[in-house]
Amino acid sequence: MTTLYLGEFEQVVLLAVLRLGDAAYAIPVREEIEVRTGRSVARGALYTALERLESKRYLRSRMGEPLAERGGRPRRYFTVTATGLAALRSSRRALLQLWGGLEGLLES
Amino acid sequence: MPGPPRVAERLLSAALGPRWAEAILGDLHEEHARRVATSRVAASVWYSTQALRLASRYGVRTLWRGIRIERSRQVSAPRGDSLMRTLGFDIKYALRSNLQRPALAALIVLTLALGLGANAAVLAMVDALVVRPFPFPDVDRILLLSDSARDSEYRREQVAPANFLDWKRQSDTIQHMAAFAWWDVNLVGRDEPERVQGFRVSADFFPALGVQPVLGRGFAGEEETIGRHRLAVIGHGLWLRRFAGDPAIVGRTITLDAEPYEVVGIAPEGFDFPMGAEVWAPLAFDAKAAEQRTRRYLTVIGRLAPGASLGEAQSQMAVIAERLQQQYPATNRDRGVRVYKFSDGMVDPGITPILALWQAAAFFVLIIGCTNVMNLLLARGAERQRDIAVRLAMGADRRRVVRELLIESAMLALAAIPPTVLFAWIALDALKGTMPASIARFVPGWWSMQVDFRVLAVTAAIALAAALLFGIVPALQCTRPRLADTLKEGARGASAGRARQRIRRALVVAEITLALPLLVASAMGAIGAHRFLYGDQGYDPDRVLAMEMVLPTAAYEDDQARRNFVTRVLDRAAAVPGADAAAVINMLPARGNNSSRTLEIEGRPNADPAFPPNVDFRSATPGVFPVLGIPVHRGRGFTAADREDAQPVAVISQSLAERYWPNEDPLGRRMKLGTGPWLTIVGICGNVVHDWFDRRNYPTAYVPYAQSPTGNFGLAVRASGDPAALSSAARAAVRAVDPNQPVYDVMTLRAALRERTLGLQYIAAVMGVLGALALVLAAGGVYGVMAYMVAQRAHEIGVRIALGATRADVVRLTVSHTVRLSAIGVVLGITLSVLLGRVIEWGLLGTAAVDARIIAALGAVLSLSALAAGYIPARRAASIDPICTLRGE
Repeated sequence: MTTLYLGEFEQVVLLAVLRLGDAAYAIPVREEIEVRTGRSVARGALYTALERLESKRYLRSRMGEPLAERGGRPRRYFTVTATGLAALRSSRRALLQLWGGLEGLLES
Repeated sequence: MPGPPRVAERLLSAALGPRWAEAILGDLHEEHARRVATSRVAASVWYSTQALRLASRYGVRTLWRGIRIERSRQVSAPRGDSLMRTLGFDIKYALRSNLQRPALAALIVLTLALGLGANAAVLAMVDALVVRPFPFPDVDRILLLSDSARDSEYRREQVAPANFLDWKRQSDTIQHMAAFAWWDVNLVGRDEPERVQGFRVSADFFPALGVQPVLGRGFAGEEETIGRHRLAVIGHGLWLRRFAGDPAIVGRTITLDAEPYEVVGIAPEGFDFPMGAEVWAPLAFDAKAAEQRTRRYLTVIGRLAPGASLGEAQSQMAVIAERLQQQYPATNRDRGVRVYKFSDGMVDPGITPILALWQAAAFFVLIIGCTNVMNLLLARGAERQRDIAVRLAMGADRRRVVRELLIESAMLALAAIPPTVLFAWIALDALKGTMPASIARFVPGWWSMQVDFRVLAVTAAIALAAALLFGIVPALQCTRPRLADTLKEGARGASAGRARQRIRRALVVAEITLALPLLVASAMGAIGAHRFLYGDQGYDPDRVLAMEMVLPTAAYEDDQARRNFVTRVLDRAAAVPGADAAAVINMLPARGNNSSRTLEIEGRPNADPAFPPNVDFRSATPGVFPVLGIPVHRGRGFTAADREDAQPVAVISQSLAERYWPNEDPLGRRMKLGTGPWLTIVGICGNVVHDWFDRRNYPTAYVPYAQSPTGNFGLAVRASGDPAALSSAARAAVRAVDPNQPVYDVMTLRAALRERTLGLQYIAAVMGVLGALALVLAAGGVYGVMAYMVAQRAHEIGVRIALGATRADVVRLTVSHTVRLSAIGVVLGITLSVLLGRVIEWGLLGTAAVDARIIAALGAVLSLSALAAGYIPARRAASIDPICTLRGE
């Protein structure tokens, strides 16, 4: 169905959301990416990516309970949709196909 | 627990769209709460930074979306149009309506381009000369360090070697601290010997600036020792000029100041820091110099160490200076260090006010131009009034119509950008082309002046702002919701038309008000520059060729050698065909250098031995008074009899005589200059304007060259005809005496004077161009208003003529309008002129003063131009045929 591949950062965000399961809202997503990839992520860029992924229907969000430590504001939790999973799978497949046979050449 | 900063939170919340506000604000709040645990201040700073970043990211989007929602709400009923679609229509409409009146559009574009072009040119200068005059990598981290006395906080002083060495050893916030010192060198090579601008520099000089030689290398630390310091990096230009760009020059030896130097590197193309330098050699201190704390002759630069800030460097240097004060109280008492950013420290402080002045003037011109355009658009609006009224009556949205009109203006402004760039480019090219390289080298950034992307972006922004400025008033004016009136009145507007006429008259008055001060400023500039160049100098600058030379101490060790050289050169120079006489003087006038000595008068001990009076010192051969045309008023000049073994004598200037012997006869008195012998005063000569900037008619003492032979001096040759024609013969005369001795700055005295006062001529010329632009634009404005008025009142005028008014009556009626408007403008302009004139006075160092006569004369010029501009439409009014107009009823 979807022939569009995911952008690199989109993939990173989707994977981080996937790893975090039920606890995926912006703060831990950002931390997860930073810990796993060792790259720092600008907050603005992350929100933009989340918003875009949601508008592409790769992510779904729901609001949590208002919390005191957030000044009485709720968290926005994200879950990867079936479409999102499919997009991840097809991206992975495509990349693996391209990687096939090159491991010896590229691993240092 | 304290919450995040309120202001930042509000700002962010306003910028975020409703959909994301809760989640993002909540996230930031949560993270802030975590950080508060460590440090409240740090958490607040963090929060504000994040909020600002996010706000700027979301602000634009939210704004855009807001506009879209607003529009879709507004027009949802009749038309289902999106912003983009209507925008497309509007642009097409605007284009068509501009093309309907191509002459008007062209006039507007041209007017704007003149105003914008003037601004863009000055902007390019500001950008190149003030904002980023130095093309070095990471120039923001390069520092300039200067010595400073406590009582003169803001003066940048040079640095003594021992202090520099201590600073360098003790500071760790500043890397690559390097010093450099002026070093004029004589380069002897294959062709004619040449005088080259050199600098002695520390090994860290190139690393501090982040510059690498393109060939070879820079200097190493151990080469900063006497004996190993005869190495040179040469400039790219010199390399091409003298050594034909031969890479093999690296490693070879050249002769500088009669000593051999090994070339170790070639500087990159375009690198000529400081001050157009072409040769750099290691700066080495002998043991005595390294202990020296009072002779300040070094300029010190450095680079901020990674991670260090300017503030840290400043405070560390302050601590070091304090330590040195305690350690060396005799020499370092009250002496501190100032650390500047390199670009702040190196830019000539005189340039900024001049550029500010130009920028202000260019801005005036732009405003006058915009005023004109506004006038033209008001006239155009009047023509379309009925059109627009009909549209509004049919239910068109006023905002939409206003937007359309603004798009028209914006389109004109954008169309003006290409010609603007062309004008600015021509202006900069003219400026660059007329500035001699010998001056431009002292203006860092001069050659990099250009209309680049940054200038273009700012110009485009100004153009759009201007479009909004001159478009909004006419747009609002002609869409005023007075439909019934407009439709009823027919083509001849009465009430709305009258309001518009009021605005247009006010605009003309404003133009004249702004134009007058610009004219006054340019006239003052012209008068000042003329006085500098052709005013009384105290000497006769015509028909004299002059050149300078510096005898290297290695080749001319003692006084006798110098005397011999000068005698032989004078003999040959005077014998050159076309030369009347020749003389040597240590300091030629108008060359920007000077020499002075302390003065002691016999029998009159100085009141304050620490501050003896200072006079200018000239050592000259007997021919100096006739050759330079300096009159000897009393006593005698020098003669061949004033030899080194004769009685030491002096000739003093009128001003020296008046200051120190006001009621006595100085002839026969004795005085002492510096540490020299007692000199008997034998003559009094005229005053000389040695330098228009700070040495006008300054007390000056002349001594015979034979009794005080200096190593550097100028040779002046008075010609019977064109002095410039003697140039090669005079050079040859010097070469015949010593083929290795270079001469430099060979030019006539008049040319030297012109070069010296070039800065002022530039100020005058640029102000003149801006003034002329203002005059033309203001006259154009008057013409526009009057022509329009005549067209509007053609009917009325026709009736008057039909009822018996003469042509003269009609002309008088129209012209009297012009006179009234320009009179109001001139009166208001006088106030502004006096204010601006004061600024110019200061810029021209008092050589031209604001003067009622100048203002009156230019007020008259302006009024006459306005009158002339108003007379053309008046003539047209007088030739109206009453039959035609009345038939039109």
